[in-house]
Amino acid sequence: MAEEGQVIGCHTVDAWKEHFKKGSESKKLVVVDFTASWCGPCRIMAPILTELARRMPNVLFLKVDVDELRTVSEEYSIEAMPTFLLLKEGQLVDRLVGAKKDDLQMLIAKHATDAAAAHATDAAAA
Amino acid sequence: MAASGFEGFEKRIELHFFGDDPLFTGSMGLRNLDFESLEEILHAVQCTVVSAVANRHFDAYVLSESSLFVYPTKIIIKTCGTTQLLKSVRPLVHLASNRLGLTVRMCRYTRGSFIFPKAQPFPHTSFEEEVIFLEENLPSRLCFRKACVMPSNVCSHSWHVFTACDGDDDDDSSHHHELAEDQNDALYTIEVCMTELDQASARKFFRRGAGDDEKYSGDSAGREMTGLTGIGDINPRALICDFGFDPCGYSMNGIDGDRYSTIHVTPEEGFSYASYECVGSIYDDPHEISRVLKKVAQVFRPGTVSVATTCASHDLWRRVAKALELVGLKCRSCSADEFPAAGTVVFQTFTTTRRK
Repeated sequence: MAEEGQVIGCHTVDAWKEHFKKGSESKKLVVVDFTASWCGPCRIMAPILTELARRMPNVLFLKVDVDELRTVSEEYSIEAMPTFLLLKEGQLVDRLVGAKKDDLQMLIAKHATDAAAAHATDAAAA
Repeated sequence: MAASGFEGFEKRIELHFFGDDPLFTGSMGLRNLDFESLEEILHAVQCTVVSAVANRHFDAYVLSESSLFVYPTKIIIKTCGTTQLLKSVRPLVHLASNRLGLTVRMCRYTRGSFIFPKAQPFPHTSFEEEVIFLEENLPSRLCFRKACVMPSNVCSHSWHVFTACDGDDDDDSSHHHELAEDQNDALYTIEVCMTELDQASARKFFRRGAGDDEKYSGDSAGREMTGLTGIGDINPRALICDFGFDPCGYSMNGIDGDRYSTIHVTPEEGFSYASYECVGSIYDDPHEISRVLKKVAQVFRPGTVSVATTCASHDLWRRVAKALELVGLKCRSCSADEFPAAGTVVFQTFTTTRRK
């Protein structure tokens, strides 16, 4: 897939819904970065996220601008930024608020393992 | 007091801007500054960003040596140790002007007295040097200037204030593009400096031995310290961005709507220090600031406290003194002065009447 290894920007509600659905069905860990163009701390995390996406193609990285996708941000009660949501099969498993590189890596490592294990288990059972 | 050690007492600078062309600056003003530019300025000051968070109102950065707050037309930098904070002034003023079309209209510089004044580099070798440096690095149109050393009854413990403004506060034409926050006379700032911290409290700001725990980072350490000390209860509404330094030390920024709060701790015995700073409004429930100050004193249990309030009205300092008295801190001195554009600064010092 051409999109693997990259942070995918969702610029419309339809695009969000499509990627969200694909992520839920794939059972991969989905990491959503809620940002804003005027948010200074969000700019710090941009290159870090790009690098993480490159290193972890087994995790789906999505990016949402809170002004572009207001309804989605409101749905998840985004108030401070950057906010990272970690989702598995459509369910919220963790949330991190702030440009915290070490915390983000720790949470991804924690949840990606579970997701990968579930994926492997399903594959074996099929 | 130790012969030498880390300087906890911060230098603080606050710059207010206005813009002539809203189409050029946009409503986000200084927040549009790219991170590389901010990093360059912080590099000149000798500090770096270790954590950050933002909301609709402002960006808050935790630095290796304290904090940075960026609002659309206001920037606040507070740094400790031997940082050369004033070196940020000229580049900031130029950046705001060249990149964003923003003109500086007010500057306020404050600090307490250094525990280790001889360790400070130029221009922080003396307040006289700092004032000369500021005069040379601020545009001459900020012509209403005042520098003052506010005393306490302990000669080594003073509060230094320098303000400069353009005196256009009443001129609507130059300020009609400003946002409400800069014209808000109801807002006040409280700067609390605490020394001789109770060692049982100070110990909580040392990182525990991580052992094989690779996941124990500055972020995790900060979170643990916030929980362990009850700092999160000071303002339960605030979102906290914290960091625990190695081997010890702690910083946090709290964001609550358009208001920041910030705490910095140097826990080592012999030069222990903690600061608490927040913004409030004279229209807030008056019990709130009392509750906050009492809680702060309970977290750190300091031997000596100084509080500087900067406020357009004159009553706040009384509430501060009353609150601290309730937790065993006796007021030893009080001095006040008026500053252009900043308002009234009241500087009070307290020492504990209870000793273990």
